[in-house]
Amino acid sequence: MNIVTIPLRNLRRKGLRTLLMAIVFGIGIMAVVALNYLSKTVGESLEKKLSAYGANILITPRTEHLAVGYGGMQLGDVSYDIKYLRERETVDAIRSIGHKDRISAIAPKFAVFEKVGGKPVALIGVDWEPELGIKSYWVVRGATPKAADELLAGHKAASALGLDTGATVVLRGATFRVAGVIEPTGSEDDNVLFLDVHALQRLSSAENMVHFVEVAALCAGCPIEEITAQLAEKLPDVEITAMQQVVKQRMMTVGFVKDLALSVSVVILLTACVMIALSIFSSVNERKQEIGVLRAVGFSRASIFFLFSLEALLVGVVAGVLGYAGGFVVSVKMLGMLDLAKDATLAFDFGHLGVTLAAVAALATAASAWPALKAARVEPSQALIML
Amino acid sequence: MLVVENVVKAYDPTVSEAKALDGVSLTIPQGVFACIVGRSGSGKSTLLNVLSTLLKPDAGRILYNGRDLGRMSEHELDTLRSSDFSMIFQLHHLLPYLTALENVLVPFMKGLKPISAERRKTAVACLERVGLAGKHDRLPGKLSGGEQQRVAIARALVVSPRVLFADEPTGSLDKKTGDAVMALLKELNAEGITMVMVSHQAEYAALASQVIELEDGRVKRPAWR
Repeated sequence: MNIVTIPLRNLRRKGLRTLLMAIVFGIGIMAVVALNYLSKTVGESLEKKLSAYGANILITPRTEHLAVGYGGMQLGDVSYDIKYLRERETVDAIRSIGHKDRISAIAPKFAVFEKVGGKPVALIGVDWEPELGIKSYWVVRGATPKAADELLAGHKAASALGLDTGATVVLRGATFRVAGVIEPTGSEDDNVLFLDVHALQRLSSAENMVHFVEVAALCAGCPIEEITAQLAEKLPDVEITAMQQVVKQRMMTVGFVKDLALSVSVVILLTACVMIALSIFSSVNERKQEIGVLRAVGFSRASIFFLFSLEALLVGVVAGVLGYAGGFVVSVKMLGMLDLAKDATLAFDFGHLGVTLAAVAALATAASAWPALKAARVEPSQALIML
Repeated sequence: MLVVENVVKAYDPTVSEAKALDGVSLTIPQGVFACIVGRSGSGKSTLLNVLSTLLKPDAGRILYNGRDLGRMSEHELDTLRSSDFSMIFQLHHLLPYLTALENVLVPFMKGLKPISAERRKTAVACLERVGLAGKHDRLPGKLSGGEQQRVAIARALVVSPRVLFADEPTGSLDKKTGDAVMALLKELNAEGITMVMVSHQAEYAALASQVIELEDGRVKRPAWR
């Protein structure tokens, strides 16, 4: 038995009011927790989906070249010193950066020019798995290549060379079968033939050489600048270009979802805090006589302040536990209903629960500060004489 | 010993006629049974509240064992109210959600430290002393008016006060219960506790060894028996 006995017994006596106060605050916390989980999970899911629309970091050899073009007409590059990247070493270096968990795909490219039936065409050697991962927007008529002697033809290239699914074509002395044709994309992909990077390297006597590497990074948990800085540290002699616009657009989309959730959370929490403050105010007014008696038996102003803050704190902790559990359940149900979290995982986080409880306790105490101060300022005589 | 020197208290300082206490001076020696009497509005309760430190006077001073109460810090006054001084109210003012024993223990519930077994024993003894043995676990709502006042007396006794202030302690009780409460207060006074009581009932005032009669905020007639 100590000072905690008084608020505990009073809350028990005013069971219905305590319950209502805990429910109101708990609903606020539930909404905030659910919004937080939803925005986090949906954000991750959105980012993964957005990443599927292409790479956002380009790694190229450091070259001295000038882009020749004017008025929107590109006339090609004038390269003084063509260099290659070493494929294995570059890919290993990328996989060893601190933020390696944020790298979703590494797609090396080897490009050569070739004449097919007298017509010039670019052959792009790719690693099929990551390539198809970052080009998920491709619609392939036929199938994607399964073997090293199969290729994919861009729509215009297939049309110009008279190629269709199942056709064969001889490239640098080796025969390749067209596994599929990519439907028009409106990009450079329409004009080229894609084949296995290692097959093309062998045919070009350039084993382990690539011209550039595209990297798809997830940037919800870190800025793109950090990833490029880590890449630059591991690959000091290459050019690393972050496609800022793409990245920023992705981060903006994810950020919008999170900002919206945060704004709604703040409004809900403020409303819940006002409810707590009003309830404690009403309690102070009802219990002036009690405050007077406590002051008359030697309770200090600080003890009275503590008593009322403790009441709000106890309600806050109960509401916090219930609200957090409710918020988690609601977010699981909502994600299931919205079918948004296919690519993201939702796990109960005890650390998050602890942080939430601490924050809720602080918030409830802060909300009760004003009425508790009012209680502490009650003069014993003021409370007792008027009775 | 309580010494009151020219104490003034006005609830509305802008109106001179509104002085509840108008230059009150008196002495209450240690161990006496003092009774403050007077008509309604004469300043009896105001004087009791000023003496018990629940109210601050506008002017004058009050000395308790030579110490000026007006110069004491808030903390010192809190300590005084939980050690030397105790108060009994006309409407007992028990906390309705605490049992009789817990109400008696309230003065010890000021901190996070749990109440010791020794203090608990003292509280039980106080309840037995006021005739409430076996009713420790009852909530105030389950006790009669007289029993509730006895719990309030036990709460006042648990800190072993030197001065017990009582504001019309029998005011809300029937004659028989009131007589029993007065007998108890007399008994406590006989054990050395200074009693300062406000009463409008002449028969109870007659039990006091010092009667302080107030009229319009002034001491009309100090009387000793």
